[in-house]
Order: sequence, then structure tokens, then C-alpha cells
Amino acid sequence: MEFKVDDLAEMLEGEVLRTTDNNSVLVKIGGKQHTLRLLKTGTSEFEFMLDNTFHFAKILQSSSAEVKLMIDGQPMTLKKHSKLTEVLEKASVLVGKGGGDRNLTSQIPGRVVNIVAKAGAEVKKGDVIVVLESMKMQVAVKAHKDGNLKEIKVKQGASVARNDVVAIIE
Amino acid sequence: MHEEKIKRLASMKKSAESGGGTERTEAQHSKGKLTARERIALLLDEGTFVELDKYVTHRSDDPTLPKFYGDGAVTGFGTIAGRQVFVFSYDFTVLGGSLGEMTGKKISKAMDHAMKVGCPIIGIVDSGGARIQEGVSSLDGYGDIFFHNAMASGVIPQITASIGPCAGGAVYSPAMTDFVIMVENIGQMFVTGPEVVKEVLSQEVSFEELGGARAHATKSGVAHFIAKNEYECFDKIKKLVSFLPQNNTEEPAIVETNDDPNRIDADIINKLPENPYQQYDMKDIIKSVVDNGDFFEIHELFAENILVGFARMGGRTVGIIANQPQYLAGALDINSSNKAARFIRFCDAFNISIVTLVDTPGYLPGTDQEHNGIIRNGSKLLFAYCEATVPKITCIIGKAYGGAYIAMGSKNLRADINYAWPSAEIAVLGPEAAITIIHRRELKNAPNAIETKKKLAKEYRDKFANPYIAAEKGIIDVVIDPMETRPMIIQALNALANKKEPRPWKKHGNINL
Amino acid sequence: MSKKITSILIANRGEIALRIIRACKEMGIKSIAIYSDEDVRAIHVKRADEAYHVGPAAPAQSYLIMAKIVEIAKAAGADAIHPGYGFLSENESFPEMCEKNGMIFIGPTAKAMEVTGDKMKCKAVMKKAKVQTVPGSDGIIEDVEKAANVAHEAGYPVLLKSAFGGGGRGIRLAGDEKQLRQEFEMASAESRAAFGKAALFVEKYLQRIRHIEFQLIRDSHGNGRHLFERECSIQRRHQKLIEMSPSPVVDQRTRERIGEIAVRAATAVDYLNAGTAEFLRDPEGNFYFIEINSRLQVEHPVTELVTGLDLVKLQIAVAQGEEIPFKQEDLKMNGCAIECRINAEDPFYEFAPSTGIVPNCNIPYGPGIRVDTYLYPGCNVSGYYDSLTAKLLAWGRDFNEARIRMRNALDEFTIEGINTTIPLYKTIMDEPNFIKGELSTDYLDRFKIFDKMNGDAKGEAKERAYAAVAAALLQSEFVKKAGAVQSAAAKSTWKLRG
Repeated sequence: MEFKVDDLAEMLEGEVLRTTDNNSVLVKIGGKQHTLRLLKTGTSEFEFMLDNTFHFAKILQSSSAEVKLMIDGQPMTLKKHSKLTEVLEKASVLVGKGGGDRNLTSQIPGRVVNIVAKAGAEVKKGDVIVVLESMKMQVAVKAHKDGNLKEIKVKQGASVARNDVVAIIE
Repeated sequence: MHEEKIKRLASMKKSAESGGGTERTEAQHSKGKLTARERIALLLDEGTFVELDKYVTHRSDDPTLPKFYGDGAVTGFGTIAGRQVFVFSYDFTVLGGSLGEMTGKKISKAMDHAMKVGCPIIGIVDSGGARIQEGVSSLDGYGDIFFHNAMASGVIPQITASIGPCAGGAVYSPAMTDFVIMVENIGQMFVTGPEVVKEVLSQEVSFEELGGARAHATKSGVAHFIAKNEYECFDKIKKLVSFLPQNNTEEPAIVETNDDPNRIDADIINKLPENPYQQYDMKDIIKSVVDNGDFFEIHELFAENILVGFARMGGRTVGIIANQPQYLAGALDINSSNKAARFIRFCDAFNISIVTLVDTPGYLPGTDQEHNGIIRNGSKLLFAYCEATVPKITCIIGKAYGGAYIAMGSKNLRADINYAWPSAEIAVLGPEAAITIIHRRELKNAPNAIETKKKLAKEYRDKFANPYIAAEKGIIDVVIDPMETRPMIIQALNALANKKEPRPWKKHGNINL
Repeated sequence: MSKKITSILIANRGEIALRIIRACKEMGIKSIAIYSDEDVRAIHVKRADEAYHVGPAAPAQSYLIMAKIVEIAKAAGADAIHPGYGFLSENESFPEMCEKNGMIFIGPTAKAMEVTGDKMKCKAVMKKAKVQTVPGSDGIIEDVEKAANVAHEAGYPVLLKSAFGGGGRGIRLAGDEKQLRQEFEMASAESRAAFGKAALFVEKYLQRIRHIEFQLIRDSHGNGRHLFERECSIQRRHQKLIEMSPSPVVDQRTRERIGEIAVRAATAVDYLNAGTAEFLRDPEGNFYFIEINSRLQVEHPVTELVTGLDLVKLQIAVAQGEEIPFKQEDLKMNGCAIECRINAEDPFYEFAPSTGIVPNCNIPYGPGIRVDTYLYPGCNVSGYYDSLTAKLLAWGRDFNEARIRMRNALDEFTIEGINTTIPLYKTIMDEPNFIKGELSTDYLDRFKIFDKMNGDAKGEAKERAYAAVAAALLQSEFVKKAGAVQSAAAKSTWKLRG
């Protein structure tokens, strides 16, 4: 499987070769063989020695496209199948305007303190749609593209989580 | 020693795995679509796919029809999160993914295997339709697949991913499967395509508008899920499979969810507005009650006035059905009755307990509903609840009036445990409607009609709109403190785990289709 | 007035509440905590001797309701209230209400708060006390000639600030007299249009300034002491990020000189208890008084580490009417301390707030490391309150030892479930200009720190890439095996049923 780390340019090939004994696995990463010794496993937490260095990992989210994990306490995102992703990214380019993301999502969690735009209005990319408040800071959620603001999905005072859909722009 | 032979195998393998050839593969990629084998690789656990019938070719002697290994489909078995599944994936690079005699045989064979083994079968559709050159043999192929769909229905879970075209009669196979997921802008299904529609009806409509993912997810209800892209499609399938058992003799696995089954939510009552006429989002209540707030919604964009989906409670998969007061005030109508009824029947077939949350003012009135058969369709929901023998737990949150109260998993439909919140209003009619009938004379003669109406409505509400009358009759088993909804339901689920309920022998009932 | 305090109600939450509770425990004083719906499981509630519910999550309905807090204090038998920082700590009505209800307020008097809270009043008082403030107008200027005169005296460039409306709005820069006249016209017109009258201040525009503040403590017997300086120049949008003591540009003589001015300022407003005199220092070494913060500040541990004093216990002692138990000359600066404010914000995403449950965290410790925090595995970082989750402090015998200890502690500090500003501080600790002491309030932009931070993150990602891939491979193997075990167990039913 090919992995792409966060924003690093290079891809790393990784595969499991075989299990050597009870708790050790021989893996091939980046063209070289490494010994992986399992120290502790849980459903999403692992403690292991890669060659001779101790590491601990916690898998936060795993999907077909990527794995989000904490490695030695640091968050990291590994994208899988990067070659396929390139193909699929072409699809969204092809789709262009209209299709794809009508959803305007919030990047932060917070409470809706101000609904600035009106449903039905024509909006431009960057226009402020709603204002959220979190940790005493006010953050504006701005339109991610030009279009018609079809619907505002949140009400005044509502709680919004990260990645929640705030409005639909078509 | 047998070097020649091993070499030949390697070259055959390579040839077969290139499908319709590099040019066609590139064409597929340039449209932003993955190939059949790439899709299976994303769906199944790494390295677990065993392909069957790799070298099958068609038997037609039509000289204009080239032979390709695999004959337009990739079939075989593998695991998803370690669980055995069978898959078939149409190969669009080979003759446009069209179905010929041997293609059909391959797919039927995979379905046969799944039936023998008792594990889910997943189909990925990306096909131009029947292979015209093979004539009746193609239709024969489809017919056989349809039969297998019907036989497998209710025995093993069947899931269809629509990641490409599917036209004409071929669409009936996905329609018979349990769940259909379509990828936006790529998946398309229609019985007659836009060109024919234009010719016959002079109606201009695009492929996407006619039978794209959004059209089927919102209007026809053919699609249970939409995925933004192929990755999301396979993630959703994997998540769906995790809720289901392998076959109808098993129960879904109980999973460690690390969410205290005794967790109470003191805040849950605040999610219900004081004013019974005010809208609110039932999903807030569902999320509070299920493990980790994880509600896997099905048919999210269709018949939004009712919610259905899977969740876990105390680690057990449950099928959730709930009215959604945010849409049409949570009233029942044709589409919502169909949506919920089919879901109930799926859960019943696969040993998944049903949890129903009720807040509905009744059925949607009007000629549109009546003339389109709310009577026929509404009865499906009642029938489905009665038929189901899995544990059924109902909790009335708010309004439950008249026939809709009965339809939503009421005691007499043989729900096992019926809970109600103190805010539950169980009545034949809502207050306003009821008093215009009961107090017709008084209202006619009243000096101040509006005030009197208000007063009478309040009296009615205080007297009837509460769960205690029903509780006195044993129709509601327990009136519960809302904050305990989760532990109460989980305790009921645990108590009913070994439920057995006989039904009179019949070949099958005659649900009003 | 000398009264022994036996129980204190802490009118605050989070790390400062815990800090005050610790001081109470050391002094044998009963600690009474208050908590909102959101803070039911907070650590300060667990550690206090008693805890009382004060209202729903929103501060305006809980931590800011003076009457309710005083009521709880009386019912719980508290004799004093400590306001912490933020919330009601600088609201002069609060000490008034406390006094009316027979509670000791651990902080300054209402009168002192009133003066320090009004910038113009305070400036006037300082002028009388011969404390140098930022050159500019003493009050509102409505006339362009007056403005020009003030600007000339202060020295260009100057800032024209609107008397009403704040938050960076209505501030105009004038580089010379001609520009001043232009800007004044426009600013006046704006002000008149918005508020009905033209009300502007003129202030000298200081560039490349350092924010240096002096910790003060003054008792009810008129004894005032300064507890040395803290340099807090590294800021973002006027919020301090890193504080340290000593300041790289303050030598012993300057310390004594400005310290004395700070004490004079405190005396001028008849200050009581702990507070901080804030100064701006220009590149020429001139110190300009800005204001007195009439509360115990977030960064007080920095001073505690270099003086060995416990400021909260001192506050309580002063509130009890005791005299400060040391003379100015008894105090000595010992070593160097640095504090990094660990905020729940994503430095890679414009400091977007980050809230939620922290499933696990690893709090650093070791020689010279101190952490003041409310975090514990399973705690909740709420969106209703500010983003400060922890204060990480490092002390060393010199700046370099402190800096390296801080760097290593930042590596050890892991917090799951939320984004924090830790990566920013890691970059700064190794940044050459920081090491040189080249600080100013525009430090972050001046040295393109965010670019450096992004680069460092890439480097760290590279180091961990192999381990991450190994973990991902392990996980997919694990998932396969787990499912296979389940399937094996369930096989029997299908086969048995004919």
C-alpha cells in the first residue's frame, strides 16, 4: 500500500511481509525491511518497537482514503492509495461548478451568534454567512464559493461541531 | 523445471488483470472513475481478495465481439474487517461493462457461493447494460441474477454500490437488494434514458437529473445513501456491514463501545421544546441515547419526516425509527410509511432489534396523499410492525395521535416494551381538532370563541394529553424520566435478547404492496 | 483591619481556581469552589473542600453573577472571596458588594479599581506622581490645532485614536503634521457621524516596543514592593503567549529604577494587594507606563519561580491585614523562568478554537518544570470559556537552561483530542532571535515565525513517517484478525440450520 504523510511530497510504500514469531512482524517500508515488535495492542492503541526505537500510536480515524493517528503524541494524517486519489480528484475537477460541495461546513466548533446572510441571496466566495463564537472568540464562516445561498442550516444560538454543514450554496 | 508454464500463468494473469486494456483503463480514469479491481481493493481488507472465474470469456460466435478475459465482471471473495464477503464488480473497461451470458453466470455463481456460505454479497455496478450482440442470452443472464436476488433476499445482506451507469431492466437487481449507495455525479440508474425520454415525450432532461444519485436519494428513494466520492462509498459500505450479521441465522456482533449503558443525560429534556407546536430535531435525542452519539442514518434525504438508521445501544446493533418533527411536523405520509416499513422488515429478517421514538401529530391530509394511496401505503407500516418478531421497544416522546400513534410501534402491534416520557400526549386527536368536535355546540354559542377554544384546548390537554391514562390501561408499560431513556432502553434490550414469538404458519402474508 | 481568614470562596474556574485552592490548603483555609453546569466534573470542583453550583454554562448566567456568588459565599460561611483573574476580578462593584456583605475581597479596593480601570484618570494620577506615560494628549481633543501641538510635543509618528469604539477600529497613523491634519479631519467626521461628536486622543506611536511589566504587592499599612519584571513581548492580537523573567534588556540598575517607579505608581492610586504595572519600552530604552492591572495575573508563576515567593498566599496575608514580611532589599532575582501559555487553538489554522474531551494527556515534569493546568485524562475543554488550558513553566539557573528545559517539556507534553499551540512554542524555543533576546510585540510577524513553524512541522512529520506507516500496517492487520475471530465464533449457526 502506498502512504502519503501529511504534506510531505514523497510517498512511502508499506507492506507486511510475514509474522516472524508470536509478537514480531517483518515489514517493508520505503523499500527496506524493518522488524516490528508488538508490545501492547488495543482496538486502536498500539505500543511497538520499530527496529530498536519505542513508539506508541493511537488510531483516531481510519477510512478507505486516510488514517488519522497520534504517533508518539503528535497528530498525523496518512493518506492511503494516493495514486487512486489522483484519479478521483480529477472527477471533482470535472464536475466543476454545481456538483460536489454545495455544503458550507464550519472549520471550528462554536455557537451561532449572528446570522449575517439571508437565504436566497446571491453570495460570493468569502462573504460572511454566519458568525460563531467559541472560547470568547468570534469567528466568521465564509462562503466557500460563488453561488446562491439556498439554505442556512443553523439557527441563532445553535451549537455547531467541526465539519457540520452550516449552509448550502448552489 | 516447469518454468514455461509458470511464465505463461504470469502473462495470463497480467493480461486478465488489465481488463479492457491500458487505453480503456486510462479512459476510465480520465472520467474520474476507478477500475473494477481498484474498487474491490478499496472495499476489501488488504490482500484478502481471491478472484474467481478470472479467465472466463464469452461463448458468442459473433465475429464483431472481441473476447476479453473476465467477460466484463470481476468476482470473488475476501474479507471486510475480517468478515467473509463475496463481491462482484462490473468492469466498464471490457465492452462497456455490458452483461453477456457468461458475465451473468459469473455473477450468479458468486451469489450462489454467498448463499452457501451465509455471508453478505456486495455488487458494484458500472455497466452499459445488456450486451446487444448476445441477444436473449444477455436477458437470460439478468433474469438469473434477479432470481438470485430474490432468493437471497432476507437470507444474506445484499448491498449495491452504483458507481457508473445502470440502465434498462438491469436496474431491478439493485432495486431488489437491501441497500443501494450511489456515488454523486457518477452513479446513474434509470429504466429509460434521456434520449428515449426526449424522443417519446419531447422532454429534455440530463442523465444526472433523471437518474443521478441526488435524484434517487431525494425523490424516488431508490438510493439509501449518497457518497461524495468512491472512497466515501466504500467507507459507508464498510460501516454498514459492521452493523449487520453475516446471515439471517446470526445476530449482529456485540461490540465494545465504551459508552456506559447507564449513562443518564440530564440535559435531554431540554431538547424537547416546551411548546408542543415548536419544531425540534429528533436526531438530537437519538444521538444522546445511542452509543457514542453514532447514528448511521439511512435514506437521509428521502421522506425526511421520518428517520431510520442503525446505531448501537450497549454494544448491540439496533434499528432506530423515529418521527422527525422538523419536517411536516413529523406527520406520516406515503413515502415515510414505505421507508420505515421496508427498514422494519430488513431488521426483522436479520435479527436486529427495533427501537421506535414517537412524536407525530397524525397522517398528512390532502388529496395528493389520498389519491396516491396513503391508505394502501400507510397500512404497510402497521403490517411491518406486526409481522416483526425481533425485540421491539417503543418510547413516546411527544405527540402520538390517532392512527399514527397506532402505526408507530404501539403496544397492540405487539411491541414488547412501551415507554413514554411525561411529555407524551396520547390521544385520538390533537386538542384543537378534538374540541371542535366534542364541544361543537359550546363553541358555537360562546361569546368569545377564541378564548373559549383556548380554554377548552387546555382542559383537553391537561386531561388527555398525558401518558397516564394509557399507563392506567397497561398500554404504556412505564412512564420514564427522560434522562433515563438510554439505560431503560438498554435494559429492555438485554431482557428481550432471547425473545421468541411464534407466528401462524403461512407461505407469506399479503402485505398491501 | 486585621481578620484571620478561615474560608475562601473562589469566584473562578479552571487552572487559577485550582491554584488558589492549593494556597488555601497550605494555609489550612477551607476552600469553597463554584461551578457551572459545564464544569460539573472540573478538577477545581474535585479538589475544593466544598463546591456549589452557580448556574448554567454561559458565564453571564453563572460566574459573572455577583449577587449569586455572594449569596453562596454567605451560605457556605466564607469570610473571603478571591476573584482570580478575568470574570469579576476588575469589576469595582464586586469588592463593594463583598464589603456590604461582610466579606473580605482578596484584591484591591473598589476605589483603586475605579482609578486603574479608567485609562485617562489613571494617566492623570501618574502625571501628578511624575510617572512617565506614553506621550500624548491628557484627554479628548476636539480641535485640530491642539492635536497638532500635542503631536509636536510627543514627537511623530502619532496615533489618532477614537475615544469611543475600540478593537483597533478608529486608529489612524500620522507620520507628520500635514498627514495629521488630513487624518484629523477624516477621523473627526467619522466620529461625528457615528457618535455625534468628534472625540479623539493623540498618542505617540511607539514601534518595535517591548512589553515589560512589574509585579506589585502593597499592603494596608502602606508598604509597597515590586517583585521584579516580566517580559511579555511575544503576543498575538494583544494576547500574551510567552512571558519570562528576567527581561533580556533589563539590568539590575534599570530593574531598581523602574521598579521604584512602579511602586510609586501603586502608591499614587493607593493600591492594595497584588497588581501589575505595565510598561512599554521603546528601542531607545525609554519606559512608558501604560496601566495597572488590578488583579493577580495569568503569568504570576513566572515571578514566583524567580523570587521563591507564593503570591497567592501573600495575597491572602495582605487581605488579612498583615504587613508584607520582607523588605525590598531582601528580594533577589534567582535564575530565569519562562512561561508558555498552552491554548486550545490550532496554530496551523489561524488559531481556530478547539474544544472537546481530552481522552488522554501526558503532563511533563522533572527538574525546573512547573505546570498549572486544569487538564486531566477525560476532562472537558469547553467552548464557553477562554482557551487557556495549561501554563507550562520552566526554570533554569540561566536563560539557556530554562529554554532547553522548556523545549524538552514541550516535547513531553501531549494532549489528545484538541489542537494546542504547543507546536508554535517548540519553534520559538529554538528560534535564533528568541535566543538572542530580540523580542518585540511584533516578534511573530517580524521573524516570520509561522513559516518557520510550518517548516518544523514538516520536519517532525518526516521523522515520524516510518513509525506512522508501521502503526497503520499494524492496525489493518489487527482489524483483519479481530473480524476473523468473530466470524469463527459465529460459524456454527449457519451450518446447523439445514
